[in-house]
Formats: sequence, C-alpha cells, structure tokens
Amino acid sequence: MRPSNVIAAMILVGSAGLAAQLPEARLVTPQDLMDGLKDPTRWLTYSGDYSGHRHSPLAQITPENVGRLTPQWTFQTRTLGSFQATPIVVDGVLYVTGFNNNAWAIDARSGRQIWRYRRTLPEDLKICCGPVNRGFGVLGDRLFMATIDAHLVALDMKTGGVLFDVELADAKAGYSATVAPLVVKDKVIVGIAGAEYGIRGFIDAYDAQTGKRAWRFYTVAGPDDPGGRTWPTGDAYLHGGGSIWVTGTYDPQQNLVFFGTGNPGPDYYSNAREGDNLYTTSLVALDADTGARRWHYQFTPHDVHDWDSTQVPVLADLTINGQPRKVVMFANRNGFFYTIDRETGKVIVAKPFVETTWANQIGPDGRPILSPGHLPDEEGTKTCPDLGGGTNFMSPSYDPTSRLFFVTARETCATYYAFDQKFKPGEEYTGGGTQRPRDQKNFGALRAIDPVTGDRKWEFRYTSVSSSGVLTTASGLAFAGDGDGNIMAFDSRTGKNLWHYQLGFPMSATAGTTYMLDGRQYLLVPSGSVLTAFALPER
Amino acid sequence: MRIVVRGFVCFAILAAGNARAAGVGTGQAAGAQKPPAENPAAHNPHLGNRESINAGMMLYRIRCADCHGLDAAGYRGPDLTAVVAGGATDERLYDTIRKGVPGTDMPPSSKETPDDDILQIVAYLRNLGTVAPPERPVGNVTNGERLFASECQSCHRIAGKGGRLGPDLTRIGAARSRAALVREIRTPSAWMAPGYETVTLVTKRGQRIRGTKKNDDVFSIQIMDTRERIQGYLKADLQDVIYENVSLMPTFGPERLNERDLDDVIGYLSTLRGTETAAR
Repeated sequence: MRPSNVIAAMILVGSAGLAAQLPEARLVTPQDLMDGLKDPTRWLTYSGDYSGHRHSPLAQITPENVGRLTPQWTFQTRTLGSFQATPIVVDGVLYVTGFNNNAWAIDARSGRQIWRYRRTLPEDLKICCGPVNRGFGVLGDRLFMATIDAHLVALDMKTGGVLFDVELADAKAGYSATVAPLVVKDKVIVGIAGAEYGIRGFIDAYDAQTGKRAWRFYTVAGPDDPGGRTWPTGDAYLHGGGSIWVTGTYDPQQNLVFFGTGNPGPDYYSNAREGDNLYTTSLVALDADTGARRWHYQFTPHDVHDWDSTQVPVLADLTINGQPRKVVMFANRNGFFYTIDRETGKVIVAKPFVETTWANQIGPDGRPILSPGHLPDEEGTKTCPDLGGGTNFMSPSYDPTSRLFFVTARETCATYYAFDQKFKPGEEYTGGGTQRPRDQKNFGALRAIDPVTGDRKWEFRYTSVSSSGVLTTASGLAFAGDGDGNIMAFDSRTGKNLWHYQLGFPMSATAGTTYMLDGRQYLLVPSGSVLTAFALPER
Repeated sequence: MRIVVRGFVCFAILAAGNARAAGVGTGQAAGAQKPPAENPAAHNPHLGNRESINAGMMLYRIRCADCHGLDAAGYRGPDLTAVVAGGATDERLYDTIRKGVPGTDMPPSSKETPDDDILQIVAYLRNLGTVAPPERPVGNVTNGERLFASECQSCHRIAGKGGRLGPDLTRIGAARSRAALVREIRTPSAWMAPGYETVTLVTKRGQRIRGTKKNDDVFSIQIMDTRERIQGYLKADLQDVIYENVSLMPTFGPERLNERDLDDVIGYLSTLRGTETAAR
C-alpha cells in the first residue's frame, strides 16, 4: 500500500468511526404525524398537527421576554414570487416550497441552502392567482408536493431528487394544484384547483410509495350522485368548480379527513347553475381509507360571491351546555364563524365575525337567512365582505388551554357584477367581477373568538387588510402579521401587542411556525420571498 | 380558487412589454430574422363597433377589472385610461394582453384565447380613451394658465414646475374627464387620492405637524408636511395622529372660482396631455 492509500484508508476509517457516533437520520412515521408537535424539534404537517390548531407546546419565548426576540438569519429564495407555504421542520432541516414549485432544503441553524428543486413548467399555465404553493407533506424520507401544472411529485428528502411524478388532471384544461398534501397513514391526500376555469373539483388520495391513486371524491356531485340534483341538468356539473387549495385536517378516532371546498363555477353568474351546487363551499368529512363521504355541511348554498370555503377546519373537544362535544370550528370566507358537531355535521354555533350584509344569521336548518339585494348583476350590487372574504386562506389558530380561536379578520365590501358567459374549455369562466367601492375603508384585525358562543373576546385592529395566518404557543403568545409587513406578538389572552418587527413584505397566506433546535426556540416567518428566523439572544 | 389577485389581469410595466416587442435582448442576428408577423391590432375590425365594444367591456370586467378597476382607472394594476390616453398604441395594448409582462402579476393570455377577444378588449379600452380625455378645451386657456399659476401651482407641479404637496398634473388632461376635474376642483374633500389624505400629527410637546399621508401602519406614519418635508414618525413618539376627512386643497366653490374661471382652468388643464414624465 502506497503512503497516499494508507492516508486515504485512515480517513475512511476515521469517517466511519465519526459517523457511527452520530444519530441515525430518523424517518417520519405515521405515528409521528399522529403525535403532531409532541416532539418540539419537528413541524411535520401544514398546521403542525392533524387537529389544525397551529398551536405549539413550546414556552421558552414568553409574554415577558418576547420583546427581546431578534432575527437570527434570513433566507432569500433569489426567485420572483412570494412564499405561501408552511415550512416542514425535520431534525434541524427546513423543507419549504415556493413560487413556480421551486423547493429548498435549508439548514435550520444557519439559513443556508442544502439542496434546491426546480420544476420545468409549461409556459401557458391557466391559473387564476399565481404559481404559488402551500408546502410539503412528509412521510418516511419522502416529501410530497402538489404542483401548479396539476401533478403530485415525491422528492427524496436527502437530495431533492424526484421519486415519482404523477398527473392529477389536465393542466391544459385549467386544472392546477397549490395545496400542501395531507399525509394520513400510507396515503397522500391532495385536492385540485381551477374553479375559475370551469374545472370539476376533487380530492384525491395517492399511495405514498407508488404514487398510484387510491380514491377520488368529486367536490361537484354528478347527476347520479347524492346531491346531483342540486345542479341543473346538462353538463354544468362538469364545470362546477369546487377547488381544494388549503390543507384539511384528520380525526384519527373517526378516521375522517375534513376539507373545505371552493366556490362553484362560474363564480358570479348564478343562472348558469341554479340549485345549491353541492358540494361546493362546503365542509366535507371523508373516510380516510376510501374517500367515502360521511357527511357534509354547505356554508353558502349557491354561492355567488366567490367565497371558497377553503379555510382550515379546526378540530377540538369542547363542553357546550354541559355536554362534551367533538367539534370542528370554521371561520368562513362568507364572514360567519361556525362550531359544528364533527360526528354529525350539524351546526352548533354560527355567528358573524365580520360585517356580513348578505345574511345576518344562520337558520335552525343550517342555511343562511339571506338579506335581499345581494345577487350580483350587470349593474353591480354592494355586499360585505368582498370576494376576499371575512377571512381566507390564512391559517387560524386554536389554544386548547384558553379555548380561544384566533383568526385574521377582513372588514371589506365590494361591488359584485355578473354577466352571462359561455363556457369555453381552458378559458377563464367566472361570469362576472368585482370592484372595491371608492369610499370603502377596508381594514383587518386579529380576533379571538370563544367557539362555545361565537362571541368575540378581543381584537387588535390593523391599519390595513391582512392575509397573515396565526400561530399560538403554550406560553400565552399569539403571532400574526398585518398587511403592512409587520410580524407581531400578542398576549393571547388579552390581545395586548408585545412585540413587532418590520419584515419588509407582508405575510400572505403564511403563518409562523416554531421549533426547538440546540435548546433554543425559533420562530420562523415566511414573507415575500424571504424566510426570517427569530430567537431570543444567546446568553 | 381566486383569492384576491386575479389571472389575466394587470397591465403592469407596459414599457417592459414594449422592449420585448421590439426584440430587445433576443440575441438574434439581424440577417437571420424573419419579417415580423403583422400585429393583429394593426387592423382591428372591432374599433368603434358598438357591439364589439360591449363584448369587450364584458371581457374586460371579467378578466381585467379586478386589477385595473371596473372604470379602468386603476385599482391594484395601473390606470388604463391614462395608459391609453398617454399614447399607448393598439399594437402595444394587444402585445401586453397577449404576452403578459414576465415577473409581474400580468400573465400572458392562453394560446387558446382568440385574437378577437383581445381585440374587443382593445376596442373597449380605446373607446374609454376617446370618451374621456379628448374633450375639446373650452374657455380661455391663457386665463386658465394664469389662474392655475396663482391659485394651484404652489401645490401642483406641471412638467417639473410647481409644488409637490398635491398630485403632479403634467398629464391630468389625459387622465381625467371634464366631469372629474370639475368634481375634484369644486369638492376636493369628497375623495382624496391615496398618498394625499390629510393628517395632523401632534408631538408629545404639543407641536402640530400637518401634511399628506404617504404611508402608515400600526407603529409608524410617513408624511409630506405642508413645507414639503418628507419624514417618518413612530406613533409611540406622538401624542396623537389625526386622520382628517378634509383635503389640504381648498374648496374652490363658485364664490372663489366662478363658472367662467372654472371653464378657463379646466380648459387649460385639458391641454395637459403630457409627453413629459409625470411623477406617479
């Protein structure tokens, strides 16, 4: 053996010896996903856990010391477009998706890139709202991303290499996907978007190993399906919308997944689709193994204001009127907050959390009692809230200790117009439009709601409309952003503002996540094309 | 799936679209270039056709109005009445709608979008442009210019001359109808453009600073004060921030500006159609 070979062999032996002392990389198991945030070094699902609480048990950062929170690093994507994703955190590494389905693995200690995934996308994508993405799902050593050209890709967590790439639907026909997958047991559950292009929406489950489709639930009932008569005869259901673009939640006890569904198509022109238009603008409870519908509740029958019900369904166990109830809480784009029995789909509480001129209350049958004069037409009708809704895709949060539900509320109004529009494949199919009245002073607020009564406990008003999600922690903090680029911390019991930092770009559809690393609690905030990591100063 | 921002919408950065149309940066050898195909807007059969304009209005409202406003005066996207009246050719409008503007919210049209759809939208926009701005100046333009110099110029700038507290009016004749000009002169507080809303800051020492609000959030406010000083303040350092619903622009009612003088001022403003760059 020549001297150089001896040295090489020594290095190899030494490396192997060193590697043996390091912990094995852990796979993410279905049980880990069930456990949610019990392991505080990880953040494994869109909302942190299956319940959709976006509530961390971490308590190093407190109302007393949050004022000392300081940036530790920033990560810039060096691409156009903004984050709408929640990063996944696994053992010191962040996995995050961005504009045009770019994706990165990032060192959670330093903000330095480890790998990057780039996707070649068709040039003429038919998308209403930008090539955005809301994040990865994870299982084993695989990451799952729905793509704007309507595919589902599985990536190798260690390299970003593609493991499978399957088509969900035809992107040329206006189908697209932005949702962060929900991984349940061995299945990856995703939904399709494109209601502004006359698609027929669905929720799909795919085998996490093979990428083979396990089931599909159409969010627009066909003529022979239950609910099929809520559409006119003919092919209206084939263009009926019902997009899925925000991640659902999962109840292991009932083995049910809950998803909010999007608006019917065309958005505004109601004559094209007389009837309730099931299962659009609804909450659907589906068997996680088969996709069979257990129950549904339609928030806005025959929606004509583009009020997708694609918000996060938040699961909790509450005591209401002395009785223990398993509920799902839902702050809807239509401006109402709902507490619903998640075993039956029956409404327990429904109350506006913003100004709602189109309806003041929900009747005993669960249907909104409509106010006259809010059907869009060619001349325009003014309705509150606007098409952006009382809230939207920004995640709410629920603190199971204080039993408060936190939501970013939008106080807005719009003039809605509707026109007859014929469906043309691949063409935008909305049948109308909206405009903000010039004298309209919109604003946003962070609001805390008691889900037992629907009453507001406190609010913090912003000077602008915000699209920021909310994160709460066990130490009694709520983190949220305004529409002006500030990330703020609040006392979650009182709404008192305790800290803020100007990010330079507002959080839009993003929310904070938090994790422990090397004994320090980090707050991670995506805004614009930047991730900013905050922590308390090291002593 | 629409959230707030819409597809097939904004006309952002028309200049960028122009650069692309002109082949800037294509890197092709001059001799290898094919003769460019004629722009469909060069012979737009829909111009001036009432039915086409109505169809274009519907397409515009559905596809463009979310960003550009139902009156095309701009919402999130640019003011298209000003773009059209400011000299954008039909070919340029067509190119921007067809190709979009990379790196902005303005996406390209799908390949399946018929030329007719775009040409109808162009006809609609062109019709807007011919209804509002090209009104024949009425009144005595010379007297209007004199009145402007004495009553308005300390706050309004034209072609680099004048004050900066109020909006730059270099292109106002192209951007506003006569009715809008009358409204904004007679009742300036009825609607204050963003960036020109009146605010008074009260310092902890009781000093009052009045100006126009340029920006603000929960924690800070940025203004131009009446001495044209731009400055930001932390709200925590102030005793009070008073958002006023009265414009800093005086109300020019008939007692201050009679009908004839109003005609003269508007006559003068209508001539300001502006090739020189106005501050936006």
